[in-house]
Amino acid sequence: MEYWITKIAYYLLTVSIVMVYGLLLSAVIAKTMARVQGRVGIPLYQPFIDIMKNFGNRTAISHGIMFYLGPVFRLAGGLGTLAFIPVIYGSEMFSNFHFAGDILLVMYFIFFGQLGMALGAGEGGHPYSAIGIARGLAQMTSYEVPFALAVIAVVVQYDTASISQIVAAQQGGFMNWTVFTNPFAVAAAMLAFLGMTGYAPFDVVMAPNEIPIGPATEFHSSYLSLMQINRAIFAGAKLVLFMNLFFGGAGNLIELVAKTWAIYMIPVIVGVAFPRFRVEQSVRFFLKIPTLIGVLAIFYVQYIVLK
Amino acid sequence: MVNELLNPIIIIIVALATGFLLPIVDKKNKSFTVVLFFMALIWIGLIALNGVVNFSSGAVAVEVITAGISPPFSINLQFGLFESVIILATTLIAIMTAWLMLDQLKENVSTLVLFLIWVMGIDGMIMTRDIFNLFIFIEITAICSFVLTGFNHNSNALSAGFKAIIAGTLASSFFLLGVMFLYYQTGTLNIDDMVNNQSLITGVIGHAALVMVLTGVLIELKPYPINGWALDVYQSAPSGIAAMMSVSVSAAYLFVFYKLLPLFQAWVPMITLIAGLTFVVSNFIGLKQTVVKRLLGYSSVAQIALIIMAITLLNGKVSVSLLALITGGLFLNHLLAKSALFWLAGMLNKTHVAQWTNLKKSPVVLFLFGCLLAALVGLPPFPAFWAKWELMMQLATHQQHGWMLLVLLGSLLEAVYLLRWFSGSLNDVKDEESSSPIRINTVTLWLSTVALFVSGFTISHLMGVSITPLFAPILAALFLLLFDELTGKTKAGITCVIAVFYSYDILLHLTGINWIFGLMLLMGSCVFILGSMYRDEQRRGYFPLLLLLIMSLGTLLQAKTSLNFFYGWELMTMSSYLLMNCGKNALKSSFIYLIFSMGAAYFILFAFALVFAQTGTIQLDAMNTISQYQTLIFACFMIGFLIKLGGLGFHVWLPGVYSETEDDYTAILSGVVSKVGVFGLLMAGTHLGQTINDEMVFYVLGWLGVITALLGALMAVFQEDVKKLLAYSSIGQMGYIVACFALMNHLGWVTAMYLSVNHLLYKGLIFLAIAGVIYRTQTTLMYKMGGLLKNMPMSFFSALIGIIAISGVPPLLGFGGKWMLYNAMIEKGWYFQAGMAFFASAIAFLYLFRFIHTVFLGQRKSEHKELVEAPFSLLIPQVLLIIAIMVFSLNAKWLIQPLSDAVAVYYPSTLTWTGTFLQTSQGYWDGYLVMNVVTGVFLLPLIILLLVSTTTKIQKVKQFNIVYAAERPDKPETTHVAYNFYAFYEKALGFWVKPRATQFWNSVAEWSHTMGSACRILYTGNGQTYASLIVLFFVIIYFV
Repeated sequence: MEYWITKIAYYLLTVSIVMVYGLLLSAVIAKTMARVQGRVGIPLYQPFIDIMKNFGNRTAISHGIMFYLGPVFRLAGGLGTLAFIPVIYGSEMFSNFHFAGDILLVMYFIFFGQLGMALGAGEGGHPYSAIGIARGLAQMTSYEVPFALAVIAVVVQYDTASISQIVAAQQGGFMNWTVFTNPFAVAAAMLAFLGMTGYAPFDVVMAPNEIPIGPATEFHSSYLSLMQINRAIFAGAKLVLFMNLFFGGAGNLIELVAKTWAIYMIPVIVGVAFPRFRVEQSVRFFLKIPTLIGVLAIFYVQYIVLK
Repeated sequence: MVNELLNPIIIIIVALATGFLLPIVDKKNKSFTVVLFFMALIWIGLIALNGVVNFSSGAVAVEVITAGISPPFSINLQFGLFESVIILATTLIAIMTAWLMLDQLKENVSTLVLFLIWVMGIDGMIMTRDIFNLFIFIEITAICSFVLTGFNHNSNALSAGFKAIIAGTLASSFFLLGVMFLYYQTGTLNIDDMVNNQSLITGVIGHAALVMVLTGVLIELKPYPINGWALDVYQSAPSGIAAMMSVSVSAAYLFVFYKLLPLFQAWVPMITLIAGLTFVVSNFIGLKQTVVKRLLGYSSVAQIALIIMAITLLNGKVSVSLLALITGGLFLNHLLAKSALFWLAGMLNKTHVAQWTNLKKSPVVLFLFGCLLAALVGLPPFPAFWAKWELMMQLATHQQHGWMLLVLLGSLLEAVYLLRWFSGSLNDVKDEESSSPIRINTVTLWLSTVALFVSGFTISHLMGVSITPLFAPILAALFLLLFDELTGKTKAGITCVIAVFYSYDILLHLTGINWIFGLMLLMGSCVFILGSMYRDEQRRGYFPLLLLLIMSLGTLLQAKTSLNFFYGWELMTMSSYLLMNCGKNALKSSFIYLIFSMGAAYFILFAFALVFAQTGTIQLDAMNTISQYQTLIFACFMIGFLIKLGGLGFHVWLPGVYSETEDDYTAILSGVVSKVGVFGLLMAGTHLGQTINDEMVFYVLGWLGVITALLGALMAVFQEDVKKLLAYSSIGQMGYIVACFALMNHLGWVTAMYLSVNHLLYKGLIFLAIAGVIYRTQTTLMYKMGGLLKNMPMSFFSALIGIIAISGVPPLLGFGGKWMLYNAMIEKGWYFQAGMAFFASAIAFLYLFRFIHTVFLGQRKSEHKELVEAPFSLLIPQVLLIIAIMVFSLNAKWLIQPLSDAVAVYYPSTLTWTGTFLQTSQGYWDGYLVMNVVTGVFLLPLIILLLVSTTTKIQKVKQFNIVYAAERPDKPETTHVAYNFYAFYEKALGFWVKPRATQFWNSVAEWSHTMGSACRILYTGNGQTYASLIVLFFVIIYFV
């Protein structure tokens, strides 16, 4: 029993760190972008203020039980995804509940929040919510293909589906990182990551300029707070996952911050440089070059790495 | 004294004497004429019956010698078991025909006389052993046939009769000339003597003589293309006469053919070829027929050809008793069913197939009609089923593979047009003429149907089949049919109780994989029947058929022999087809289902026959000893089972059927019946898997599985009809199962079975939930629904649990399936298949969200404001299914362990358990812990939100409390996003799912019909053409 209490305490600590880090990261990105565009940008603590302010709102409305639970599902999705990923290699404190399941569990648990959120947004009854979800799901189906191929390549390469063992296999110098041992897998996965993060050119889901914020249209006050928290945690969890699978994991917090920041900058840079794809364009995009690279990754593992 | 009266020669004497007496008596007393006429027929029947009784208990055949001199110098008659059986059967048909046609026959006493003489001629042909005497009887029969064909002075019939005279005259001329030459060479007219002195038949004369006799007999057996006259006769003769021509006269000629066959040994391959051609071509042409009696005519010609094929292919190769069983079974079936159908056609007086509608209003007629057609098609439990089975087994044993395919092809074509006729008769057409119940005298039809059941029973008994498990389902269904007057709810209750007891009993006798499937299929069915109580209608016929379906599943599960398996399979197909048509109008798609199922059954039959040829036994356990054609056999099984599963390319029947049948039955179809295909796969896999060295077939199957999964899911995305969406989803889910099965290892099979259980639970759950929604909203189109969560929260909850489980999102049991699937595929090295499966499962999110959003979420339609929750009885099975899902989600071991143990018999287990922690060679998963973590991370934000909500004032708002397009919307129709939901996805990937399979099968159907048309250009309706064809036929036989 004591073991589990410790485990839960450690987990909550990890969650707090990842949340704070995630929020800071988003602020940094926003500020960076502002600077690129010649604006001053937000202060770094702006995301925290937003959340507090939304929690403090005096009134809210509810469209029904699923609407109410939507953000709960969403945040549970982020929390759960993080819960199944070991954050820092070799650290008991930051290992979370990774022994409950392997990479497949994480890949499927990512859907949990999206599904729950979709249901909540659906009950809101706003057409933009439904349209946003439909677009989001459509993009998701196609960027998951190169991602899945990349993950399969990694699992085959290290002959394990356990995230911690995948990290373990990449230790002993940066040349052992997947990005160097199987660049194809990483290329496919990073292209998929562009879709996952939802920056341009794959930002039609939120479509910030035309329809007000897609799936989240109807959500406000504390609902919105939960979703903002989730944005931080979920983004953090995904970054950690990518870091673990492809960039050798992290031995300490500093390494974690450095690596995840670097990974996150990729979609950000791509995002500021490109215009937007229509949904069908992005669907087709992922099924062409990135999928092909994913296929190459598996061949590469099968016939070069393992030979 | 009694013995003398039952002497076979009395048959001839009675007929002749009565024939003379009738005109005399008729002058005195009209009514006594009829009595006398029937007395004569009954007497003949009694003689035959006496013979059957004596000879079947082992008495020696009677030789009747005339003129006091022994053969070959005199005419002799032989009366043995075969003769007596055939005479009895033909006489019974004659009595019933005469009774049905009595009003027409008794108008003129000469017709009665002719009829009697006709019967005598037929019996004479059967009994005589003298070839010239045979000619006499042939002539007598032929003349009576011509006259009776045209006796009601219908001009078509007269013209047909005249064509028959031309053909008949040519036939008897050939026959007589042949007999002359034979007598010239052998010096005898006695058939047995002639056979014994075959060596004397030599040279050009001998050859010509035999060809002439053969041509004479063959013409009367109506092979293609010299049967145009016969078809005209069948079409235009009075139905009773056509019935007699089709069965009794044909019986006589068949027996003549059998008697003379030893003379024609050199021509056997050619006769087989002609018969085979006739069988297939007639059935091709049958496809084009719209006139009932002509259709029956083609079927008759085909059936006779099939029997000839059976005789020529197996004569001398198998024992006489086995040959008698096969040909006798086929013939008895044809005799009883065909004659009864001709009678029915006559009584209903509906000339065109299209006029046969609305039979549902006359359930008795429909039942009889269905039984007769089922018998003709060769479905169990009728004689042709057993005979065809045995025929296939023997043909395979003697390596006649080409002929097997020919027989199966012809049978399939025949099934198409016969069952299309049946399917059309279920159609509800609103017109005055056909919508009133039919009032006809069904006694004769009942007699024929009962006789068909009894003879089917007898034949199976003769084949040494253990009968109880095979006939119990039918008897139980018939028993339940007696209570068809009760209310629907009561009947559902009774059915459920019987099914529960039956399932319990069956489960006690099952082990391993069969036990697991027993639990799934039988218990699953019991749960689903509970749901059937939600409807108030009486639902005539539905519950007996449901019971038949469930018990046929039991038969299938218990099967230890391939015959039992096939029997259960056919019974299941038939009952599931009929169930589709109870209630709603699913005729078109269910007919496609039926035809595909027949095709599937023939593939399975072919495979079983190939196995039998090598093992010599029908025991399933012996299958693993085969050493030839393993891959072919396995592939045939796969095709057969994939059709049932709705595998890619063979799926065209599925969406239509699922969407158009009764909503509660769809749940059974998707939940239970589709799993039978999986059971079949595993049956083949467990028995044959080890014998196959070539992995290619599994590899192909694996790809087929994942591609089915992908395209099934993609098709589901684009559907507007909720049941079609779920149907395509089922196709996709079956794809995963097939792919996992194809892995042919422990984890693969465990996954396949795990997914089957899952699919039963969640798809059944969703179908039941949606049944309630459809019941309330009266529509299946999703864009006409919306926002129903407010009205039907329980149904929504079911749907929610269902979609979470299907999608594979943890912590519900669906994830276990996905997890094992990827583990199994990666373990096997099927990386790209795993990738494609992942793609498919991602696409599933699209349709699942579309489903739940457009039905339950979004904006509610104004007319749905007052709807209430689904009926209680529909919710009960949903609750049971949800409980099962939750239990297995919480502790996956309870489900996976038994599956793993069952499979471990065939492949060593690669799963290791540590408590609830499950490990494979690559991955690990602790379902229990995941469930706890997920509960935890769900509660955390929930508590936060609840706490915050105490200070924030949360106001519940009504519908349309949103701002959209710069206004507050007031019309759900313009606000609810539902129609063409994934238009952009269709733009991106829609071209992948163009209906290619449908196009392909449509062109197959088109091609077959064109083929039928092409074959019948020879039938000009002109007597001269027919005559020249006959002469040409003779010339060809002569020179070949």
